[in-house]
Amino acid sequence: MNAAQSNPFHFKVGLFVAFSLLLLSGFLVYLLHARGFFEDTYRLKLAAATADGVAPGVPLVFSGIEIGRVSALGLNDDGGIIIQVDLLERNAKWLRQSSTFTLDKPIVGGAKIRVDSPDLKAEPLPDNSTMLLLTSDISKEIPVLVERVKAILANVEHLTRKDGEIVGTLANMQTVTGRMTGEYGMLESVLGSPDKARAVTDSLDKTRALITKLDGLTLKMDGMAAKADTWLFARDGMAAQTKASMVQIRAMLDDAQSSLKKADALMANAVEISSDVKAGTQDIARLRAEIDDAVRKANALVNEINKKWPFARDPEVKLP
Amino acid sequence: MNFLATSIESLGARFVGWISVGYGLFAFAGRAALLLLAPSTWNRATYDVVIKQVYFTAVQILHVFLGYALVISWLLVTIILSTAREFGLTEFATEMTIRVLVLELLPFLTALFIALRSGSAINTEVALMRVNNELDALAHCKVPPMQFEFLPRLIGGVISVVALASLAGLLALLLAYLSIYGLTMAGLSAFTQTVARIFDFRIVAGLIIKCALFGLAVTLIPVVSGLETPRKLFMVPVSVLSGMMRVFFAIVVIEVLSLALKYI
Amino acid sequence: MAALDDSVARVALELPLRANLTARDNIALIPLYQRHLNAAESTRQAQAMLDGLGHGDIAGLRDPDMTPAQRFVTQLARALMLKRPRLVIDRPGAMLYDVPYPAFIQRLAARSEIGGTWEIFDFDWNQALYPQ
Repeated sequence: MNAAQSNPFHFKVGLFVAFSLLLLSGFLVYLLHARGFFEDTYRLKLAAATADGVAPGVPLVFSGIEIGRVSALGLNDDGGIIIQVDLLERNAKWLRQSSTFTLDKPIVGGAKIRVDSPDLKAEPLPDNSTMLLLTSDISKEIPVLVERVKAILANVEHLTRKDGEIVGTLANMQTVTGRMTGEYGMLESVLGSPDKARAVTDSLDKTRALITKLDGLTLKMDGMAAKADTWLFARDGMAAQTKASMVQIRAMLDDAQSSLKKADALMANAVEISSDVKAGTQDIARLRAEIDDAVRKANALVNEINKKWPFARDPEVKLP
Repeated sequence: MNFLATSIESLGARFVGWISVGYGLFAFAGRAALLLLAPSTWNRATYDVVIKQVYFTAVQILHVFLGYALVISWLLVTIILSTAREFGLTEFATEMTIRVLVLELLPFLTALFIALRSGSAINTEVALMRVNNELDALAHCKVPPMQFEFLPRLIGGVISVVALASLAGLLALLLAYLSIYGLTMAGLSAFTQTVARIFDFRIVAGLIIKCALFGLAVTLIPVVSGLETPRKLFMVPVSVLSGMMRVFFAIVVIEVLSLALKYI
Repeated sequence: MAALDDSVARVALELPLRANLTARDNIALIPLYQRHLNAAESTRQAQAMLDGLGHGDIAGLRDPDMTPAQRFVTQLARALMLKRPRLVIDRPGAMLYDVPYPAFIQRLAARSEIGGTWEIFDFDWNQALYPQ
């Protein structure tokens, strides 16, 4: 009678308990298997010059997958570091005689020991063998890199500072060109008619394309407006002065540009090295900001030069 | 001045109240633990009531609970995975999923679930038993209410929360594996490695102890709260209300303590 | 009254049945917990007790489903199951308001095989109801 009365409870609860116990013991067995309870432990010894960054628990990684962990650290009789790594038997097949072991210390995430086994057909590494641990420490290289880039940026900064050579030269040039584009614009006054002036500005467009060759520009100017040429040269050697200024600016700009290019290359290099650093560290972020700043300054400089350029087809060159 | 004195007095009264509630809880738990050791407790009747409690607390709601665990786990796994992919931290997704879901969130939600469903029911029932003099009648008949009514509820609560949290955790593990690696065995070794790394002995023991404490909290506190009900019918809702507040507080305290022990 | 508890089995309004158990289970609690019998034997004894009082058919009912008379019988059976020397029925009028209770109790007492004294405490204005 009692059985009949509590049967539904008993049966369902029994089913529930049995099911849960089955699943839990299954998980327990899986866990024991995962933790290598049913397997022998395979030991590997790594010899290193320093234990810097290595601690028990540091993973041994093969192709991005963890296959073991550092279990102990110790000194040998000669003062060298012996790192003991424990692996499960099933993972030992990834270790070969030709394998290399590298200590990786990325900027984000913990240190790990990377195994590279280029030839998986090579002789397997026997238990308890000792291998050499190499170091590839990005975090040590980054500060050096940062210092170099900083030096270059300081150079750029120096060139483009408020009272720097480039700015001074620009100011100088502005006074000169101011006189040329004044009320009696140089071209108009020289050529006398708007059509001719337009022809000149058209050819000046071409000249602008050849802006790097300031000598060539002056030559063309020579050929196109001999009068102007003589006028320009006659009056206090203004053209000569302008020309000199422009050459100077160009040289400095070249300098700045090459500096920036160098910085850019170093930056690319840095990004490549720390490509696993997605968000970037503070150092990288600051570097980037500095480079951006320098590039912006250089751009502003170029724009300014373009604006002040006496032969640019600008509102400043008033055509009738 | 008067105001200050009043507020200090009320603070004192509140503090004393909390102390006495805590003392009552621990004293009750102590008596229950002592009875667990007594051989007379382990008779067929206690066992039957335990089974009944497990049935009502866990088995009856199993399908609802597993559905709910499935939805929560799926959502969180998806969120964690997509976030991890976005930030290029996919390698940490498995560990993150297991730590967040299996170790923390699912036990916590299980405790809340059981507290809402069974804890409130237990509180009401015990309060009604007390208000209706049923406990006095049992005492007159020399049927020990602790063994007959309360202890089985505590045992049932512990068993239920541990079992349900484990089942939900296993479900979440399975779901996490399927979400990360899909329907293949390819990721099994990497997944196994991660599982092995996370579930060391301390973590597993801590998880089980935490779930057991959750189970105890969601049954012990309602029982004690029900027993404290004054013998007036209209006090039953008040008793349930304060009992459930204490349960919630206790669950949060247990969770915070377990986190503190684990990560500090 | 509390001091007498160990020798007296009481049937009283303020000692209700356990509401979520059937009549049989309510009675069976006593052999189960006091005499440490197993569940089957306890249930059998409880059923036998109810049968003895002529109300074996209410064994499966819970407290809210019973009439006052059925409830009284169950409470009485529980008290008898205690097997104490004295049985006190405390103010039966409060419990048995749907039957002429002196005669009802008399009939139950006649059926019961268990000895001992039955004492009925009632309000004195009800004295006229009892056969002298």
